[in-house]
Amino acid sequence: MEMGVSRRGVLPDNPRPTALAESEPHEEGHEGAGPEALVGIGTAPSHHGELLQGAFEDHGEIRRGLVTLPCSLFGSSATIRLSRWEPELSVRPKWKTKSLSAVRGVLGALGMEGYGGRLELHGDVAVGRGLGSSSSDVTAAILAVLSATGRHLPPERIARIAAAAEVATDPLIFDRMLLFAQREGVVIEDFHRPAPSLEVVGFAFDDQGLDTLSWPPARYTSWEIECFRALRGLLRRAVEHGHLAELGRIATASARINQRFLPVPRFERVLDVAAECGALGVQVAHSGTIAGLLFDARRPELERQAALAGRRLRELHFSDQWRYNAGSDNHASDVRQP
Amino acid sequence: MPVTYASRKPYRSVVDSHVLPKVVQLEGNLYGAAFHLMKLLPADFILKSAEAGGELLPGTTVVETTSGTFGLGLAMVCRLRGYPLVLVGDPAIDAPLRRRLEALGARVSIVSGAELRTSGVQQARLDRLARIQSRLGTYFTPGQYDNPLNPVSYGAVAELLLESLGPVDALVCPVGSGGSSSGIGSFLRSLNPAMRLIGVDTLGSVLFGAPAGARRLRGLGNGLLPKVLDHTLFDEVHWLDAPTAFATTRELHSGHCLYMGPTSGAAHHVARWYAREHPDLKVVALFPDEGHRYTSTVYSDTWLRRNDLLPPALPGAPRTLDHPAQVDGAWSHYAWNRQRHEDVTRQAAGGAA
Repeated sequence: MEMGVSRRGVLPDNPRPTALAESEPHEEGHEGAGPEALVGIGTAPSHHGELLQGAFEDHGEIRRGLVTLPCSLFGSSATIRLSRWEPELSVRPKWKTKSLSAVRGVLGALGMEGYGGRLELHGDVAVGRGLGSSSSDVTAAILAVLSATGRHLPPERIARIAAAAEVATDPLIFDRMLLFAQREGVVIEDFHRPAPSLEVVGFAFDDQGLDTLSWPPARYTSWEIECFRALRGLLRRAVEHGHLAELGRIATASARINQRFLPVPRFERVLDVAAECGALGVQVAHSGTIAGLLFDARRPELERQAALAGRRLRELHFSDQWRYNAGSDNHASDVRQP
Repeated sequence: MPVTYASRKPYRSVVDSHVLPKVVQLEGNLYGAAFHLMKLLPADFILKSAEAGGELLPGTTVVETTSGTFGLGLAMVCRLRGYPLVLVGDPAIDAPLRRRLEALGARVSIVSGAELRTSGVQQARLDRLARIQSRLGTYFTPGQYDNPLNPVSYGAVAELLLESLGPVDALVCPVGSGGSSSGIGSFLRSLNPAMRLIGVDTLGSVLFGAPAGARRLRGLGNGLLPKVLDHTLFDEVHWLDAPTAFATTRELHSGHCLYMGPTSGAAHHVARWYAREHPDLKVVALFPDEGHRYTSTVYSDTWLRRNDLLPPALPGAPRTLDHPAQVDGAWSHYAWNRQRHEDVTRQAAGGAA
């Protein structure tokens, strides 16, 4: 399986990538005549909503922030062809203008504003479900530019460029657990640990999807804001000790607070199913239409638990389901269908 | 993964350095959260929120009625943030506390004998408060008994407990305003719906439906029902009398070197029993203030003897009640079961007996 940035030419048929940067310029062109072009390819995975989303103190200010639950089931791949002689930048599909803004942003950061060219995006991340299709495209596009130009930017800089292009972005460029301010694109707290090895039985609860960015941001009460403080305290401990059960509790508490803003139909029934199947918790895309039951992948009863969860969720008419492992060490080849 | 340390920095104020408790393991499954002065937390949180919301402008006088440590918390925060402070209290404010409040720049207004006789302590204080407010015109009143930000202010304590202990199974709190118990209780429960909240009250307090009367143990219990107390969070309530609470306060000091006030002793007594009854549960007790204010009272054998406050023997287990109306004696408890206050008090007193 091809991962991260791949150079020129062939796209993987079914990209299930991890965002990764490489740095070698790729120049094409006819010797001695005609413009030379820089070509690069970048890929980025999707995510599965958030383990935690809310408002958090950052140096005395309260900022919106989230902890992404990574998902390598789906991904985006971007190919860029840049040239100093091209007058304009364009994108295909045409409506993916955020990725185009991201290309402008990264060219600006590299001092290459004069370049034009063409960005092509391919991917299988469903739009409007909260799987991060837009973040995935934008991150892949930025990585493609870096690949084409042979330049390097730190992940913090890439995240800010993505946030500026997107209004709110998920930190797909990082390979570890973070509390991330999705609107400013800055790290509120770095937990310095890889994503947890949680087994996720995911499901969709609305086939329509929604325009994730036109959805009004949640207005949290003061109790909720202080409760996020408590959740953050447990998160530090859970990440440090690798306590998956505690991560499950955090996800459920965060999902519960979010019910006021974007409810999951039959949420209480989903909680019952989670308890019956021995799930660690219920996790949602806080501005999307997917959710998941979280399991400890190391438990011998996992297969039985996941199968029961799938059955019970179907009984609640959540028949569009999938399953994967969110751990950083687990690549796409580990994907099993329920 | 490498372990990373954040280098330690000086606190920017005494409020910052003193606002959070120290979490101490007392026995295998029993932990104490020992505060220097717990009420510093709501005082600081409420005033900062009022500043952020534009209710508290530079120079605005802060006015509050309190006879306890909330006044001391306000006095410290107001001194450091530059607000004039008027505190309305009753003779329960002893001379050392009054001197300390005044040294911090607070004006202390004590309701007098005549007012007390005609309208009762609480009403006399409220009347005096209203008079001062109308004279000031512009003022800010934190209102610890009514202000929903009082319980909310305890998020940082829940954060500390969860970060250092993980999910808590049982929380034992002395209850006075209901701020700390309702606040910390609700935050811990959001992560552990089965978390058991255990309130510690005292004879004569009406908080949980016991008969009203004189209270010899101060700092917990209440003669009125505060709005911020959420009864539906509580699984269990204990009532201790003053001699038992004072003796266990001394034990907390002699046994664990924790020099705390009498409400801490009361919480420790209940929590220790609960932790031994439930060895598989992680139990946390709140210790709201230090012992220095009580050197010549709770910590003085002479004073205890002279006031007939030495218990004959410490009770080993509480008496189980059918209804809070039966509260009496050294130590009793009632399975509150997250009921509403009115639903408990509506049941015929003693009807179940």
